[in-house]
Amino acid sequence: MTEHVHISGIGIISALGNSVDANLDALLNERTGIGPITRLQTRHSSLYPAAEVKLVHEDLAALVAPRSIRGWSRTALLGLQAVHEALAQAGIDPTHPRTGLISASTSGGMDRSESIYKQLLNDELNAEQEQYVGTHDPGEHTERIAAELGINGFITTISTACSSSANAIMLGSRMIRSGKLDVAIVGGSDALSRFTVNGFHSLMILDREPCRPFDEHRQGLNLGEAAAYLVLESEAHLKARNGKSLACVSGHANTNDAFHITASSPNGDGAFLAMQQALLSAGLTPDAINYINVHGTGTHNNDLSEGRALQRLFGPAPPPFSSTKTFTGHTLGAAGAVEAVFAVLAIQHNVCFANLRFQEPMIEAPLIPVRHSLHNQRIDHILSNSFGFGGNNSSLVFSAT
Amino acid sequence: MKARAYITGASAISPQPTFDRDALEHVVAYTTHPLNVILPDIANFMDPVRARRMTRHTRMGLMAAINALQRAGVEQPGAIIVATGDGCKDSVARFLDNMVDHDEAVANPTAFIGSTHNSLAGQIAMALNSKAYNYTYLQRGASFPTALMDGLLKVREEGERNVVVGAADVVTPDFFRTHRRSWLWKQNDQVANLEVLTTTDRGALAGEGSAFFVLDSIPSTKAVELLGVDSVFCAKAEDMVGRAEGLLAEAGKRPEDVDLLIVGLNGDPAEDRAYDPIREHFPNATLACYKPLCGEFYTANALGLWFAWSALVSGKLPNEMVLKGRRSGGFKTALVHDHFQMKDHSLMLLGGS
Repeated sequence: MTEHVHISGIGIISALGNSVDANLDALLNERTGIGPITRLQTRHSSLYPAAEVKLVHEDLAALVAPRSIRGWSRTALLGLQAVHEALAQAGIDPTHPRTGLISASTSGGMDRSESIYKQLLNDELNAEQEQYVGTHDPGEHTERIAAELGINGFITTISTACSSSANAIMLGSRMIRSGKLDVAIVGGSDALSRFTVNGFHSLMILDREPCRPFDEHRQGLNLGEAAAYLVLESEAHLKARNGKSLACVSGHANTNDAFHITASSPNGDGAFLAMQQALLSAGLTPDAINYINVHGTGTHNNDLSEGRALQRLFGPAPPPFSSTKTFTGHTLGAAGAVEAVFAVLAIQHNVCFANLRFQEPMIEAPLIPVRHSLHNQRIDHILSNSFGFGGNNSSLVFSAT
Repeated sequence: MKARAYITGASAISPQPTFDRDALEHVVAYTTHPLNVILPDIANFMDPVRARRMTRHTRMGLMAAINALQRAGVEQPGAIIVATGDGCKDSVARFLDNMVDHDEAVANPTAFIGSTHNSLAGQIAMALNSKAYNYTYLQRGASFPTALMDGLLKVREEGERNVVVGAADVVTPDFFRTHRRSWLWKQNDQVANLEVLTTTDRGALAGEGSAFFVLDSIPSTKAVELLGVDSVFCAKAEDMVGRAEGLLAEAGKRPEDVDLLIVGLNGDPAEDRAYDPIREHFPNATLACYKPLCGEFYTANALGLWFAWSALVSGKLPNEMVLKGRRSGGFKTALVHDHFQMKDHSLMLLGGS
């Protein structure tokens, strides 16, 4: 690729904590965010663990403190919190006209709309519920964050299931590379809702215990909630303002499995193609990759498919790899950005994070992930995978500056 | 060097007989809204058994996308890019009804799968066995223009060919009712669509539809060039004149080259005034509207682009669309200006051969 796309700021809120530092501390100390559901009111709370941000709506609103708290869904609040942190680190003014906001979400304001849905249909909304009418669609949180920050230019929302925010990062990178934007705030946000818990429950792919990606006895995934954003910047813009680069987005690809609407193909065709093309776009060969943050949800289907794709591309012994979903749960539309933030941290701190709870390799694709954090690693290039429903496969390459 | 991007095939499903043709011959008048699409028979496109579980949204978008590819003579697209304001709202509603009514005791996997907003893009990939780039955009009125910008980036800057990009949105009875509360739509069910621009009450004519386009760097015989796209959040109506000038300059065109201006007038008097600056700036262009034919919805501007493409390809426009200027005799340069609730403004510029 011709021009470098720099990352100059990162921000995150997840079950591991409300800031980048809190998330890093949990990762380094192998402290998972997955536990019993205590915040979300759902019939399934005693059945499944999840990775919740343990702040109820009022406390989250107080932490994030938008100018007016009226009408903010949980997804929008989480998003604003992470965007604030990323912008503060980058030290840029988001009102500049060549600054774009590209966000991602699978369920947008569902955490509010599911609780006012029947009242809205029956015309029985009270004054408290009224403020959340019109916050349902995924584009709403992006619009709200843009309005809060005074971003008056290019904004959009990508919703491609679990690869959504990886795709937001990819679009931001492409728009900077082509000169359409100088700065792109990219990432995603998804709050846990009854809708998603019941949806994944209906698909029977939730583990009743904390998940064990790539383990022979894995039983499914745990859901999580989070928001994570990165500030991407062109080299010229970064230099002109004397900004600091944390890392670069050096490659990316999105492909489709074209196999099944919710399942991955057994040989991992889409995953293989995404990784292969991402490396190609970065101008790298597989041996240049020092660490892979895998999609690794913990479902039978994903881990086998992704494992086979890893074997096809990297051979029987791939570079160190791990699923940080063992810490954050699967944060759906936010997952790609959460893991991009972790990739930047891995580069900054020379560490490969742990794949918690792994015990026994899969018989059909025997691969052993990083079991405990590996320190003092030289990390020049990281591959990060995000795969989603609709056969949607994305791979990103992050490189040290 | 930057490539050029041409529309080599297009297809629209709307409340008008627009499907599988270059131009709308006979405009249908309605007396109530929301307007619903004239849906082609899906059996002509795929095994009806496979289509059985598909929502109306998926069927509509799938047929428009496949038809656009067929009309362009393309079997395998280089990328699939879909825009939708809020995806499969029919599946979302079905899932929520079930979840709330049974207090989370009954699971409905089909509705959940269908509620994933990229299910249309995924279904298009499956129908074509396409492993290509596959994106879905949801940003209200900016959904389609930002998807189109992605398509333009693919063809112009990244050497991709045969990119299929389009949009689909449906109106369901619940969606109509709940959004009428917030004055998006006119309160009265009785609205004569072709007279909606003379109404003085608040709210738009409600509708639905889908349009898909194939973009390629090599023109076909009747190809129209996509010269530029712009999408701005929270712009003032006056700012769009300067942005239109910028778009024209980038394309090497002068303002007087624009001989067709298509604007998104939807029957809401306050919203329609936001087109005054651009109308005043292009006084000599033929002025046309399209939302009286299809109604307002998040991605109606995809149909706006289809009507502009149709005018350049066929050289004429239906009488019902033209507010000022000539209806036939060919058009060379078309500018489409649209906004959704005065927040998401967009411009799309097309050039004929």
